[in-house]
Amino acid sequence: MPKNILTYLMTLLLLTSCIGEEEFENSSNGNFEALWQLVDERYCFFAQAEQEYGLDWYSIYEKYKPMADSCSDERALFDLLGDMLKELRDGHVNLSSKYGTSYYWDWRLQQPLNFSDSIQRNYLGTDFKWSNGIKYNILPDSIGYIYVESFSNSFATGNLALMLYTLKECKALILDIRNNGGGMITSAEELASSFINKKIHYGYMQHKTGKGHYDLSTPEPLYLEPSNGVRWLRPVVVLTNRSVYSAANHFVMIMRGLPNATIVGDNTGGGSGLPLNSTLPNGWKVRLSACPTLDLEYNHTEFGIAPDVKVDITSNDWNKGRDTIIETAKDLIFEHYNKKEGKEQ
Amino acid sequence: MRIAHLILTALALLTTPVMSRAQYIVTDTIIPERIVVKSSQFGITLLNNLDTYLSNYNHEGLGLNYGYEVFRDARTGDYRWKYQTLFNATVGYATQGGNIQLTGLISQNWGGYHPFRVAKGLTLLAGAQIQLEGGALYNPSNGNNPAAAKLRTALAASGMAIYHFPFRRSEWIARYQVDIPLIGMMFAPEFGQSYYEIFGLGHANNIVAFTHPGNNPSWRHTLSLDIPIKTKRHSTTLRISYIADLYQSRINDINCHIYRHTFSIGFARTIFKVKTNNKLNAYSPY
Repeated sequence: MPKNILTYLMTLLLLTSCIGEEEFENSSNGNFEALWQLVDERYCFFAQAEQEYGLDWYSIYEKYKPMADSCSDERALFDLLGDMLKELRDGHVNLSSKYGTSYYWDWRLQQPLNFSDSIQRNYLGTDFKWSNGIKYNILPDSIGYIYVESFSNSFATGNLALMLYTLKECKALILDIRNNGGGMITSAEELASSFINKKIHYGYMQHKTGKGHYDLSTPEPLYLEPSNGVRWLRPVVVLTNRSVYSAANHFVMIMRGLPNATIVGDNTGGGSGLPLNSTLPNGWKVRLSACPTLDLEYNHTEFGIAPDVKVDITSNDWNKGRDTIIETAKDLIFEHYNKKEGKEQ
Repeated sequence: MRIAHLILTALALLTTPVMSRAQYIVTDTIIPERIVVKSSQFGITLLNNLDTYLSNYNHEGLGLNYGYEVFRDARTGDYRWKYQTLFNATVGYATQGGNIQLTGLISQNWGGYHPFRVAKGLTLLAGAQIQLEGGALYNPSNGNNPAAAKLRTALAASGMAIYHFPFRRSEWIARYQVDIPLIGMMFAPEFGQSYYEIFGLGHANNIVAFTHPGNNPSWRHTLSLDIPIKTKRHSTTLRISYIADLYQSRINDINCHIYRHTFSIGFARTIFKVKTNNKLNAYSPY
């Protein structure tokens, strides 16, 4: 009996070994290895990147390792590691240090702008109202125009309700989120909840369950409850461009499933993975996509969402200070009401 | 005589420096029903934290610790059992490469022990403990994963060795205690699961893990020395402690360790509870 107890205690002692993580030294090579492995274990869109443009993360290692080995300058290492992350073509994957933040911008910079604040001024006027970062006004023909340039602020339900109440005489809304780079998903959901009248199911969310590239959880449904404030159930046209990203992309994913909403403009930029943070041995901060969001058909929206009506600002309109996308939205609203009146007659 | 003998034994076991005085009282007029030792201690903690949900690297720093212990005889069972309740709170500040991590942990343990007198002045106590701990590690610079919440409960094996020894014409007490969680459960998000999913969306399946020494090999060692000090009541000791609280877990591919080395100082007060009219309504003045 005492022997058994001793054996048990010895086993316990052996089990009580130190739990740690693989240590990488704080050197060029160590930080490179740490970053490569961090992405290898935690990034959630390898399957999509492999399918979309043939990413091979192991060949990325082979490509960058010799450069990291010979890198003696800290600034050069930052640029090198930033370049390696850009291979993922994901705006949510960043490296931050005293040298700045590395971003993959191609998802927006190589695309048409489709937005000009100078042209927008021709519509928004100078007497617009501004609440919680949202600008709004009433356009001619009784169309409300709302511009949401970011979801970084938390929208108070009362502020959204007051805004929609102010626009209550309008027959339709143009909700412009062009150049909205995202922010908080909860803010996007709060705004979207103003355009539904009952609980809706709008998509799914997953997360990594292990270190393998394809270790993802079963998609769990995403629901949205209607707002407790004003609920706008008349037509709403959402304007998008390539700079609509992250939480703004999430907003479009919700809105495009609503019967009273139409998406007009260009594809969104994407960014459907909720990013999580970590660090490198030298303290540099890393952010990377970890929890993918899927639409109702289980499609990833990481590389953007196509609009219902695809339209770019023409160069002719641009020169005239005319916003082709806003004009298209107005036409759609007129068309909607003309059809409705036609049916009623 | 039997009661007096038991009381004397209890007094010898407990961390009181006034044994001879208590003995005098027992043989004189007041018979304590129970003996309770309460201690409060403040300490400085050396922190070494790792939680791969937040970062893959150790964060090291300092913390402040408060501990409160009540050690008493059982009300029944002819004093064959001792009970201990331990409260501990730690707040800390640690860094890794300029990144800040804040620590806040609170724990409460309830233990029951059976004493074995093995030699003159030396008593061993063996028992079990129920542990409850909550808190968080917080990395303010992390966006969607700023914190790793800690909530766990466990049944632990616990043992003590208490040694009374004379020093400079008074009795000092050295104590060593080890607590090893054996089985329990803890809050454990999946590898890359965000708290937004758990608390914002209610996707809370599989967030509780059963723990055992294989995935939660932890232990806590306490070494304390009670030094008698002259007070009006002669029932207070100065207590100096070193606590090595080595918490570890490896669940859902998330590795965590919270190593706390605490050096603390405080006072332990011995209270003799006496029975009056069959009710415990009076404290002994000693």
